[in-house]
Amino acid sequence: MTEQRRPGDHRDDRWRAEGPHQGPDGAPRPERGDPDGRPSGPPPAAPGDGRRPAPPTGGRPALPPPGMGRPIARTPGPRPAAGAPGPGRPGSASADPGEVPGAPAPRPAEPPPNPSAGPPHRAPGGDGTGDRDGAGGEARPGADGESKPPTGRDALLSGLWPPRFSRAQLIVAALLFVLGLGLAVQIRAAGEDGALRGARPEDLVRILSDLDERTKRLDDERGTLERQRTELETSSDQEEEVRKQNRERELQLGVLAGTVAATGPGIDVRISDPGGAVGADRLLDAVQELRAAGAEAMQINDVRVVASTSFVDGDDQVLIDGEPVDRPFRIEVIGRPHDLEPALNIPGGVVQSLEKEGATVTVNRPDEVTVDALRSAEQPDYAQSSS
Amino acid sequence: MIAVLGLVLGIVVGVITSPVVPTGMEPYLPIAVVAALDAVFGGLRARLDGKFDDKVFVVSFLSNVVVAALIVFLGDQLGVGAQLSTGVVVVFGIRIFSNAASIRRHIFRA
Repeated sequence: MTEQRRPGDHRDDRWRAEGPHQGPDGAPRPERGDPDGRPSGPPPAAPGDGRRPAPPTGGRPALPPPGMGRPIARTPGPRPAAGAPGPGRPGSASADPGEVPGAPAPRPAEPPPNPSAGPPHRAPGGDGTGDRDGAGGEARPGADGESKPPTGRDALLSGLWPPRFSRAQLIVAALLFVLGLGLAVQIRAAGEDGALRGARPEDLVRILSDLDERTKRLDDERGTLERQRTELETSSDQEEEVRKQNRERELQLGVLAGTVAATGPGIDVRISDPGGAVGADRLLDAVQELRAAGAEAMQINDVRVVASTSFVDGDDQVLIDGEPVDRPFRIEVIGRPHDLEPALNIPGGVVQSLEKEGATVTVNRPDEVTVDALRSAEQPDYAQSSS
Repeated sequence: MIAVLGLVLGIVVGVITSPVVPTGMEPYLPIAVVAALDAVFGGLRARLDGKFDDKVFVVSFLSNVVVAALIVFLGDQLGVGAQLSTGVVVVFGIRIFSNAASIRRHIFRA
């Protein structure tokens, strides 16, 4: 017991040595130490005696009543312990003795253990802050646990439950608050990209290559899709183009077939035939001549003239496609005027022949000729497109 | 008790507010936290040893944090920041373990 205590006492000493201000906390320790120290005191008293000479100045008067002093000293003992630690035993002895006679006695009693048992343990553990948790700690705890078994848990519980609002508690709470804050922040920060931060280099390399591969694959896919899109766009463009061409072709064919109205440059031929000498043959001659000259669309009065148009002499009229057409005739032709007009006017041509018949032919060349007489489209019954 | 409350309160506040750590401080925070943990374990052990002193605790807490951050800072300047911070963590880990062993002996007597 005494031996185990000594280290403890020693610790107390060290604590005092470090913290001269330990007043509040230091106080209780000496109390613990004192009871132990006293029983152990007598044996090491010899070394202690060696010190006593140091405080002789004030100590002498105090020494005589040592027997009485002990019990008395207990209460005041702590005080000097708190105040006197660092400056040195001699100094403390010299200063204290006046106040407390008993204090110096236990005090010198403690030091002896230090040289005996303490230094070996202490010295290694004596790093500034790590004093408590220093290397020496490994040896001590066992001793403490054996000597005062219940203290550990009890101390913990007693420290936990009755909350004490002391300065120490508040300071420690503030520091722990900071620690908790740092913990939470750091844990959160580490958790954000923890998956990659904690990964080993080879894993990172693998992840990177995976990503590269994936990027390449996606690039390929994108290229394929873009190509498809281009194809579709062009194909739809082509379709549109084809549709447009078809429509244009349809219109062109419609002009030729007479199913759509047409407009353009051309000539306007008026044949006034008061004598009624101009018959179907003459009209057909005129139409043939115009066709040969490149007429693309024409109508006689209100009848469209197409490839299959028939000219038949009626009683008093000419039947064109079965429609009676009254004189005078007016032929509107779309084509190249410079070709059409001379074609009619060539010597021995249509105009001369008609005029020989007694008709009057007037050829005009308006800016724009409109052929708006329509034929209904005919569906062939047997012929089918072979293309 | 108050101390434990402080710790819990700190964690809660940290989780709720999730303050942004300045980029310059980022490498030092984990080291500082580990250093502070070491100080806390040391303090707990001292408490169980019955020789807890708030002043020593404060000094050790702050000096642990500052010295650890300084070491890492120095390592960064020397280009061995990662290795040095690993070393600091190892050292503090060992100390925490030894303190935890001591605390365990106190509490479980084993």
